[in-house]
Amino acid sequence: MGPRLLVVEDDDGIRASLRLALQDEGYDVVDSASAEAGLEVLSQGPVDLMLVDLMLGGMDGFTFIRTVRPGSDAPIIVLSARDDTHDIVAALEAGADDYVTKPFQLKEVTARLRALRRRGGRPAPAPEPAPDVVTIDAEQRLLLDPGAGRVRRADDDVHLTVTEYRLLCELASPPGRVLSRQALLESVWDRGFFGDERIVDVHVRRLRTKIESDASHPRLVVTVRGLGYRLDTR
Amino acid sequence: MIGRPRGRQLGLRAKVTLSFAGGGLALSATLAIGTYLVARNYLVDQRESAALGQGFADASFVREGLLTAGTPVSDVLGTVVPPADSVLLVHQDGEWYSSSLTLGEDVVPPPLVEQVEAGAAGLVWARPDDGAAVVVGVPVPVVGAEFYEVVSTPELERTLDTLLIVLSAFALLTTVGGALLGRYAARRVLAPLEVVAGAAARIAGGELQTRLPITEDPELVTIIGSFNSMVDALAERIERDARFTADVSHELRSPLTTLTTSVHVMQGRRDELRPRAQQALDLMAGELDRFGSVLEDLLELGRLDAGTGGQVRAVVDARELVRHALAVSGRPLTLLSDSSRPGEELGIEVDKQQLNRALVNLFSNADLHGEGLVAVHVRGASRSVVIEVDDGGPGVGVADRDRIFERFVRGGSRGSLPGAGLGLSLVAETLRAHGGSVRCGERPGGGARFSVRLPLAGVGQVAS
Repeated sequence: MGPRLLVVEDDDGIRASLRLALQDEGYDVVDSASAEAGLEVLSQGPVDLMLVDLMLGGMDGFTFIRTVRPGSDAPIIVLSARDDTHDIVAALEAGADDYVTKPFQLKEVTARLRALRRRGGRPAPAPEPAPDVVTIDAEQRLLLDPGAGRVRRADDDVHLTVTEYRLLCELASPPGRVLSRQALLESVWDRGFFGDERIVDVHVRRLRTKIESDASHPRLVVTVRGLGYRLDTR
Repeated sequence: MIGRPRGRQLGLRAKVTLSFAGGGLALSATLAIGTYLVARNYLVDQRESAALGQGFADASFVREGLLTAGTPVSDVLGTVVPPADSVLLVHQDGEWYSSSLTLGEDVVPPPLVEQVEAGAAGLVWARPDDGAAVVVGVPVPVVGAEFYEVVSTPELERTLDTLLIVLSAFALLTTVGGALLGRYAARRVLAPLEVVAGAAARIAGGELQTRLPITEDPELVTIIGSFNSMVDALAERIERDARFTADVSHELRSPLTTLTTSVHVMQGRRDELRPRAQQALDLMAGELDRFGSVLEDLLELGRLDAGTGGQVRAVVDARELVRHALAVSGRPLTLLSDSSRPGEELGIEVDKQQLNRALVNLFSNADLHGEGLVAVHVRGASRSVVIEVDDGGPGVGVADRDRIFERFVRGGSRGSLPGAGLGLSLVAETLRAHGGSVRCGERPGGGARFSVRLPLAGVGQVAS
């Protein structure tokens, strides 16, 4: 059986056609017509990926994402209208990993799913040679352990989503290198030239709240004006 | 804006000015002529009665002289001392005697001579060599003679001439004054109309929130009130139309998504279909692509209309943008002709997806209506970036070069080709939203050239 994919979409036609198409693509699709039903599905077992419509009757997509996020690091792709440009940022801030705008072609959805899925599925058995552990912040005892596929602060795990983790790995290989938003979009999201750079910005903000000691004065993931981002290990 | 018909017709302002000037002229001319005539009559009457009085006085003096027997007429005339302007003439026994060496009987008009010979005194105006003169004739039957006195009146002529000049000047001044007053009045009266015209022009230019200021003036309250409510109604209607289009296209998104996804499933299982069903599926897929493209254009136009477009701006290199637009639309990158100087920065701050859509629309237009895309030039100009899209078609007629950017205008000669005619209007609106422009011109060597101009982003902002 392929990766387990939850589709939360209240339009019957889109939901049914997505199920058919994504099953043909090899996904194990579970679908629900509302956010509440989606939460019910999640309570019965984890999923690998989520496709969530923002405009839902009852609980909306933003609330759904905020509700599932602490307990699940599975990539979430939101379905949205492109006019709702603020909605897209709000959804990303709530914890979504990427978005697709309606009306969409199925190949856009599968491309997004593949890109995020490719990076997921951790922790894989350490590939050889095992990458070195990177000390990100000695003061906080913050370590990135690519071999184990996790980030630790002192003895605890820092809870990152799959995409946040991928972003940190990209910045940390090696640290001190300036990466443009475009380059990060390409390597982490597999988005091309027309990708939305705000995705990178929102993820950097989310990452900072999790690893920086003071997210409003970032000292680890710093912005290089006009160029991109850089990880400064300490 | 629609051009105003320009004929020989006079403007309202010119008409009012002319009316005032004409009125001033008529009034002042009437007054001047009246004044002149009254003054002239009065002065002439005065002069005539004075001349008559003097004539009778001098006649009686001459009679007294002639009654003294033996005195020759010329001696008598010598004793009379007439005023400077007068000449005395006596006609006795067929002989004429004059007190002047230069003036003779020729000045006396024959009708007066007849009248006086008949025994009646008379007065006529004559015209000797220098100016007008009054000729008074008095019969002197006691000595069988007639007495004439010629009084020339140069001062009367001068007075009347001066009066004529003064009155004409007055009439002229009044006319000019009338014209100036008319101009001023026309401007005052037309000022509110100009405000209305300005507001109407701004509204036609798209500033639908323009309203006329409320006034207390009872003459203007109605027109301003009507104008404002007309604009309200117009704005509401335009907004309703735009909202309708936006709502319809929004409503179409979900069914279209379901259709394309379902067709995708069928395409994945094409082999399971019979040949006829496969043909039908291909037709459906092709039309769905077209439908999707039109809907995307409509949604994008709705976004631009609502002013929500261009929100996701990023600084990109124009050459990169063109290269990617060529790539995503499946066209060879060799079409790009980079005419920029080495090392020149061609950064533009745009919504990449919107600009891509606009460029791809221009490429498709070249393919559909211009016999194929020939080249895309990118070069820097003063503070802007110019992207030229050349095709190998017959070009666009001068008359159509603006029209083709309107919504739902198709290439006339090849109307059966696909494309709903939204493409170029989307290009124009996208560029307007980005502070740029698009123009249709001629490619050297034939064919159409669409020139896109975008402002250069601030130097140093280009993301690496």
